[in-house]
Amino acid sequence: MSQQITLKTSGISKSFPGVQALQNVEIELHAGSIHALLGENGAGKSTLIKILTGVYQPDEGSVKLLGQAVSFSDTKEARRQGIAVVHQERHLIPRFSVGENLFLDRLGEKAWSWVDYPKLHEEAKPWLAAVGLDLDPQTPVKQLSVAKMQLVEIAQAISQKSRVLLMDEPTASLTPHETEKLFSLLQKLKEDGVTIVFVSHKLEEVLQICDYLTVLRDGQNTCTSQPIAQYDRQDLVQLMIGRKEQIPAWQTREVNRQSPKLELRQVSTEAGHQDLNLQLYLGEILGFYGLIGAGRSELAKSLIGYFRMTKGEYLLDGKAIHVSGVSVARDRYAIGYLSEDRKSEGLILQHDVLQNSGITVWRKICSKLGWLSDQQVTNRVSPSIDKLEVKTPSLAQMVGNLSGGNQQKISVAKWLAAQVEILIVDEPSVGIDIKTKAYLHELIRELADQGTSILLITSDMPEIITLADRIIVMDDFAIKGDLPNNRNYEEMSTGIMNLIHS
Amino acid sequence: MPLQKLLKAEWSGLLLVVTLAIILIGYLKPSFLTPFNIQILLAAISVNMVIALAQMLIVGIGQMNLSVGAIGGLVAISFAGLMDVFQLPIPLAVLVGLLIGLAAGLFNGVIIAFTGISAFIITLASLSVFKGINLGITEAQPFYGVAESVKSFGNSSFIGTLPLLILPALLALIGVWFLLNRMRFGRHVLAVGASPTAAGLVGISVRNIVIGTHALSGLLAAVAGMMVVARLQIGQPTIGDDWLILSFAAPVIGGAVLAGGHVNVIGTLLGVTTIAIITQALVLFEIDPFIVQIFLGLLILWAVGINRLRDLRLTLFSKPA
Repeated sequence: MSQQITLKTSGISKSFPGVQALQNVEIELHAGSIHALLGENGAGKSTLIKILTGVYQPDEGSVKLLGQAVSFSDTKEARRQGIAVVHQERHLIPRFSVGENLFLDRLGEKAWSWVDYPKLHEEAKPWLAAVGLDLDPQTPVKQLSVAKMQLVEIAQAISQKSRVLLMDEPTASLTPHETEKLFSLLQKLKEDGVTIVFVSHKLEEVLQICDYLTVLRDGQNTCTSQPIAQYDRQDLVQLMIGRKEQIPAWQTREVNRQSPKLELRQVSTEAGHQDLNLQLYLGEILGFYGLIGAGRSELAKSLIGYFRMTKGEYLLDGKAIHVSGVSVARDRYAIGYLSEDRKSEGLILQHDVLQNSGITVWRKICSKLGWLSDQQVTNRVSPSIDKLEVKTPSLAQMVGNLSGGNQQKISVAKWLAAQVEILIVDEPSVGIDIKTKAYLHELIRELADQGTSILLITSDMPEIITLADRIIVMDDFAIKGDLPNNRNYEEMSTGIMNLIHS
Repeated sequence: MPLQKLLKAEWSGLLLVVTLAIILIGYLKPSFLTPFNIQILLAAISVNMVIALAQMLIVGIGQMNLSVGAIGGLVAISFAGLMDVFQLPIPLAVLVGLLIGLAAGLFNGVIIAFTGISAFIITLASLSVFKGINLGITEAQPFYGVAESVKSFGNSSFIGTLPLLILPALLALIGVWFLLNRMRFGRHVLAVGASPTAAGLVGISVRNIVIGTHALSGLLAAVAGMMVVARLQIGQPTIGDDWLILSFAAPVIGGAVLAGGHVNVIGTLLGVTTIAIITQALVLFEIDPFIVQIFLGLLILWAVGINRLRDLRLTLFSKPA
């Protein structure tokens, strides 16, 4: 491995009103390496990335690029100097062609310059080839899958001769197969001398592909640019949270499986499922594992009446029901759905905590004329907010100002307040840190112990094995199999994988 | 191949509807296709096209410009007043008119870009300001002393029945088409409209694009205002009062996405044409002209509905590659 240092920060500090976001942070990036940047939510990773890419300027400390002190006044300057970011979300113009997106910032010298499309699309080809994308540069971006869009963004970054490529949670919305392809691309880029900074919550991935490690906790280094080979998963966790990860030595739960709480018989849905059979028992945690696009969220949304069921029987407590809409599912049948996409489907970020957590109970507690007092809502939601230890200055705080973990807690709180009997939880721990995740797991289990039936959808293997009583594997909108969970990671993960690839 | 390309174009359905409407109305009322009527129709289309383009650009960045009419009106009375009161030569009066439009657009753009307040509110306020200046200058009285050559420009034709007013409109249409489809600035306008975040992240100055687009919109509104003066032969203070609905209806009928990022110049032309034909037809069939408003409103709803359906179909039935 070549050991030239591309970028080095020393003594970076940055504070925001009331918060010391970074304190004396050091990081040293080696050319041709993949550098893991880890930390829990709020540890300062994003702030550091924003400083490296010119969004923020540090209060103290310096950034050296190839030995030269640099300061980036804005993102444009950082890009010009060869530092590119590929964000977690995609940032492309859907109607524009792949080629035009690739060169969007280089369409012409002046504002009135002519865009030479044939030339532009020709020049795009080698960059697309470099990231292993075999497609016509004239294809509109909106026709691509998320994984391909991400590759287009990487092509965009390397086409600017970027020396440093920052990747923020790049695998969050990729299937395992797509992830493997991305990793082999990153390996190739690394061999070409690019420095890659890899930010991820998935520790297995970090250990698999990274060469160096920097960990932040509460805005300070707990590990500074060390070769990663000397660490294992537990070490990483300890560096991030300051203690060993609690592997829950939970007992296998007793579930009475005499009569199902919820049952599907030969159900087909407009989302594309055919002849599904399913039983969920009282107080059971039923895990749904599958790849992204396997049809799990769509099934969940069919259960709450968002998608129509076109065929078959839907039974609750043994009685056939018809769920015509989400509010019917909640109010009449006490079925709640905790969305995987809390920002756009789960919470109203501009509204305050009280409104967000009370939204599910308004109809139940309002007077006949529709009057609703804040006090009534507060009385109803406070217990669940307290129980979940939501860290908020007051119930009047805007939800958008809270951390990701606290936002997730509020999404849970609002269903607790609604006193649902069946709660569908969709990818609950995407984008939240280990500590919050552990709380969430305890909470879900506690809910189940109190008799709530939980349908847990997750793509996180340790999570499903930690939590589920029974695991259903789904692929291509069909149920591939049903495994009782014995909490033996090796056995269970092999069993699940066998079912997916059978 | 050209025919296939034509059929694939987003506006092919609209073109078919317009053509059928012309044939049908011409068959039922032969007076519809007389040279005189065609000239009136084309003159109306020309003016309205420039108005629609002024709004279309702003729709392109996902905003609204409620002050298009107020800018056009202010420029119209300034243009007429400069000729009437100060006997300014025409080229100079045109130049000042254009500068006023540009300045008004810049005023909108700068405030929107620097405060981040929604364009709807800012242009609602500036509409009132511009209209107020208009009424302060004119005291609600028209300027009559419009130069003869301006009057004749607005009311003569060439090559048979083509009104001269078609020339500035064509120029604007071709200019805006090339701007949005072939020039860096125009591509960035649509990029900002589609996603300001994505555009900003690659280093496009969203602020400059917003300001520039509003300036261009003001300029086009100015051109339209002066075209109306030429056509009406007086500087009416009420010019521009009835532009708003039309300015949105035409781009939306033409396939513009109100959220920004997608507009269609040819579609907008067909939208303008549709509106002109309907207006004319209602007159020819002696239907109360006030009903035109209802028609326009319904037309907008219909067009927005069609666009929405198309989007839904795309998201529901397209499989990613």
